[in-house]
Amino acid sequence: MKLRAYIAICFLACFALSAAAFAQEGHPLVGTWHGSWGVDDKNRNDVTLVITFTGKGQIISGVVNPGSNSAPIQKATLDPANWAVHFEADAKDSGGKPVHYVVDGKIEDIGSVHRSIAGTWTAGTARNNFKVTRD
Amino acid sequence: MKRSVSLAAFLLLLVATVGYPQAPEATGQRGQRGERGARGQRGQQQPSQPAAPTPRFKDGTVNLSAAAGEKGFWNVGTTSVYGRGLPGNLTAEQIPFEPWAKALFQYRQATSTKDDPHARCVPDGGIHFWQLTNGVEIIQQPELNRIIMVAGHNHIWKVVHMEPGRVHPSPDVITYGYLGDAIGHWEGDTLVIDTVGFNEKFWFHRGGLPHTSEMHLIERLTRVDHDTLKYEATLDDPGAYTKPWSGGSLIRWQTTNYDGSPGGEIDEYYCMDNERDSQHFASK
Repeated sequence: MKLRAYIAICFLACFALSAAAFAQEGHPLVGTWHGSWGVDDKNRNDVTLVITFTGKGQIISGVVNPGSNSAPIQKATLDPANWAVHFEADAKDSGGKPVHYVVDGKIEDIGSVHRSIAGTWTAGTARNNFKVTRD
Repeated sequence: MKRSVSLAAFLLLLVATVGYPQAPEATGQRGQRGERGARGQRGQQQPSQPAAPTPRFKDGTVNLSAAAGEKGFWNVGTTSVYGRGLPGNLTAEQIPFEPWAKALFQYRQATSTKDDPHARCVPDGGIHFWQLTNGVEIIQQPELNRIIMVAGHNHIWKVVHMEPGRVHPSPDVITYGYLGDAIGHWEGDTLVIDTVGFNEKFWFHRGGLPHTSEMHLIERLTRVDHDTLKYEATLDDPGAYTKPWSGGSLIRWQTTNYDGSPGGEIDEYYCMDNERDSQHFASK
C-alpha cells in the first residue's frame, strides 16, 4: 500500500513538473491540449490533441488522441486575425466505424501558457461543442 | 499605437529600459518585474570626454571585460545616451513577421507585455539576455577556448564555445535550452556568436517579439572604445519571420554598483529569492 502511494505521488509529481516544463511561447497552437467534446455536459468524450508546427511552409500538424487509435490532424489552419482554428481528422468511433471530425474553434486567452481552444466539434453529422486546454 | 510601433523597432528596445522617458509605456513595458528597478541609474557619469581606447590583451585580442586594475560591466540600462537602437533598425512595420507572429507581438504590446515569462523568473535568452538592467559581465578564457557571459539578473551564464571548427549538434540531438548552443569566433575586432537550439519557453526579446525553436541568432559584439559595446544581431527564424533581419544597439560600460556607489561590480540578484512585490504582478 505504501509502495502504491509512493508511486502515485511520484507520478503526480512528474506530471506536474512536465506540465510546467512544456510551457511554450512560440507558435500558439504548439503543445499538448486536453479536454473533451460532446453534445452536452453529460455526454462527453475525452480528447487529447498534440499539435506541432514546422516553420518552412508554416505547416500545422499533429494527432488527435495519440496512441493506438490516433488520427492525424489534417487541413489545420490558424487565422491570427481572430485566432480561429480549423482542422479535420479521420478517426474511428467507439464501435470501430470510421468517423470524420471537422473542428472549428477559437483560441481563448492567447497570452496564457494554459490557453484554451473552444468551439464546435462535428463528428460525422453530429454537431458538438468542445473545449481543450493547453498543458 | 504609432508610437508603440515605431519604438518597437527591434532590439531596440534595448531601449525600453531607460533611455527614453516615454519608452516604457510606449513599448508597453512597465519595467522588469522581479527586478529592483533600473540598476545603476544613480551616480551615472555621462561621458564628458572622449572614451579611452578599446582595451586589449597582450596578443592584441580585444578585451571585452575590465582591464587589469579596473572594474566594470556592460549594462544596457545605464544612460540616456546609450541603449538606443542603431541607425537603420527596422520599425515594427518593417519587421518581416509571419502573420501569427505579428498578431502575437501586437497582442503582447497591447497588454503591456504582462505575460512575459521573465516575470515568472524564467531565464532570458537571445537578445533578452542583453536587455536586463542588472548587466552582463564577459569573461574571456582563451586557454579554455571559451567565453563566459554572466548576466546579473538571476546570475545565468552563457558559454560561447570558441574551439576552431566546432559545429552545432544536429537538430535531432541538440538540447533545446534558454541560451542555446553558442559558437563564437573573431572577425577582426568583432566577436561573432552563432547560436541555435533555443527552446520556446521564454521571450527572446524584452518587447515580446515571438520566436520558435528554429531560430538561428547571429550576434556581433564590437567594443568600439573603452566605454561602448556595439551589439548587432541577425535573426533567422523561418517559423516566425519570412526572412532574416537585423538590428542593434549600443551598450554602455558601467563603473558603478547597482545603487550608484563606486565599484562596477554585479551584485547577487535572484528574481524569486528577492521578490517582494509579487502581489502586484499582472502576469499569472
